[in-house]
Amino acid sequence: MSDQFKQVHSLMTLLQNVDVGLVVLDREYNIQLWNNFMESHSGLHPADVKDKCLFDVFDEIPKSWFKQKAESVFTLNTRAFTTWEQRPYLFKFKNYRPITGTAEFMYQNSTLIPLKSSAGEVDCVGLIIYDVTDVAVHRQALKAVNNQLTILSRIDKMTGLFNRGYWQERFYLEFKRLQRQPDACSLILFDIDHFKKINDSYGHSAGDLVIKNTADCIRDCIRETDIAGRFGGEEFSLLLFNADKQQAKILAERLLDVIRQQVIRYQGEQIKYTVSIGIAEYSQHYTSAEIWLELADKALYQSKHQGRDCINLAD
Amino acid sequence: MQDEVKFSIDEEQRDCYQEISNVAMGQAADLLARLLKVKVILPIPQVNLIEVNELRMALTGVHKDDSVSGVCQGFIGDGIAGEALLIFNDTSFSDISRLLNYQEAEVHSHELEFLMDIANILVGAFLHGFGEQLDVGFMQGHPSVLGQHVNLSELIQPNHYRWSKTLAVEISYQIDGYNINCDLLLLFTEDSIPVLNNKINYLLED
Repeated sequence: MSDQFKQVHSLMTLLQNVDVGLVVLDREYNIQLWNNFMESHSGLHPADVKDKCLFDVFDEIPKSWFKQKAESVFTLNTRAFTTWEQRPYLFKFKNYRPITGTAEFMYQNSTLIPLKSSAGEVDCVGLIIYDVTDVAVHRQALKAVNNQLTILSRIDKMTGLFNRGYWQERFYLEFKRLQRQPDACSLILFDIDHFKKINDSYGHSAGDLVIKNTADCIRDCIRETDIAGRFGGEEFSLLLFNADKQQAKILAERLLDVIRQQVIRYQGEQIKYTVSIGIAEYSQHYTSAEIWLELADKALYQSKHQGRDCINLAD
Repeated sequence: MQDEVKFSIDEEQRDCYQEISNVAMGQAADLLARLLKVKVILPIPQVNLIEVNELRMALTGVHKDDSVSGVCQGFIGDGIAGEALLIFNDTSFSDISRLLNYQEAEVHSHELEFLMDIANILVGAFLHGFGEQLDVGFMQGHPSVLGQHVNLSELIQPNHYRWSKTLAVEISYQIDGYNINCDLLLLFTEDSIPVLNNKINYLLED
């Protein structure tokens, strides 16, 4: 036996046993070569699939999608790649770790390479299938955790509203946008009246209930596009889009009214409370977002000085 | 000082890189035009030796505040290594659906399909053409999705520590009649520069 033959034999054995799928398809997508990996995972012997059309044997492969990739390999003589992000798998194989693996199937990347005949024309494509289940599962888990973290970092746990940090971030962003594209937009700041007294007379758990109840009232009153945040202990902030100060006042009056009607039941006691509200509409004269915020805060203090449970508009 | 010379290119070499890129880019654009049946507008490729942290600034086809999507693919051969980056401005995607027809794919994966299809062709053809002229056969790694609908700083987070300079070839492709903008960026590692210069000098001697 010649050395060359031995080398070819060794190479063939390697290709048979390498842990990636190797398939050769002819111009009509008939299977010409099918290595051990493909045989083991599909349960189909090379003799079962030889000269059969890929799409007849595996109806999970979308014909036009696959052809679009493969045709460019045939006609343009370039490689083509597909990733699990596009399509989790080409061949629906079981997870290589069927017991401890969490994915139901094997995620696959694939490469299509042009194979030239002795005449120099691309008459076949080589399809290489890689098992990327671990990568895909980890990537997806990481993404889910990151999304969860993003949400957690933005939300005030007690009320479910945005926390101050994120609310302000959005507020500054909107301010910048308004500077470029002026539009009606109003800021509402409000504060629970005599909150310290509620805490002192009924305890902090009662105070927490009042804060949570206020958040519920906000959710009932605002539109989906408005941005609501818990600004401080008993202070809340609302940013209303496409709303001038008169429209904002209507919403504030409704909020005032809804809150007046609330009765918090705590250990046999009935707690009623009110809020004081300050409103400032966006103006192009504001040189910074802080000025806008300050004006709403001033209007809120006016409401406090006027005896609470009322609304004031910044000039 | 020696390193400075080793990892630099002179004007003559730059012109040569530009010419080689131009030929490779033309071949890639021709394939793209055949596949999509459109006219591809060819710019002049920009060849620059840049600091890695200037990478974002070097991208002229996309603006820093725009939402972008990108795919990258590593390549290596004959002591030359690098990465190809294909970056799409997200505003392009509305026109892309007009251009292509992915019937069986899910609606939300259209963009990724397009990104991958274009990357397959442009990167493959460019490397083929580029390699042929320099007599190098490049192996291509599997492409990896860098990100979708993110801004440029999220997309490119260079590892400043391993290497500082990169030879960058930037090509901004445009498709005639469509509002489609994409940037193909070929980035060669610092240690590939002397190898590349050697091959270029060989061409320049002829």
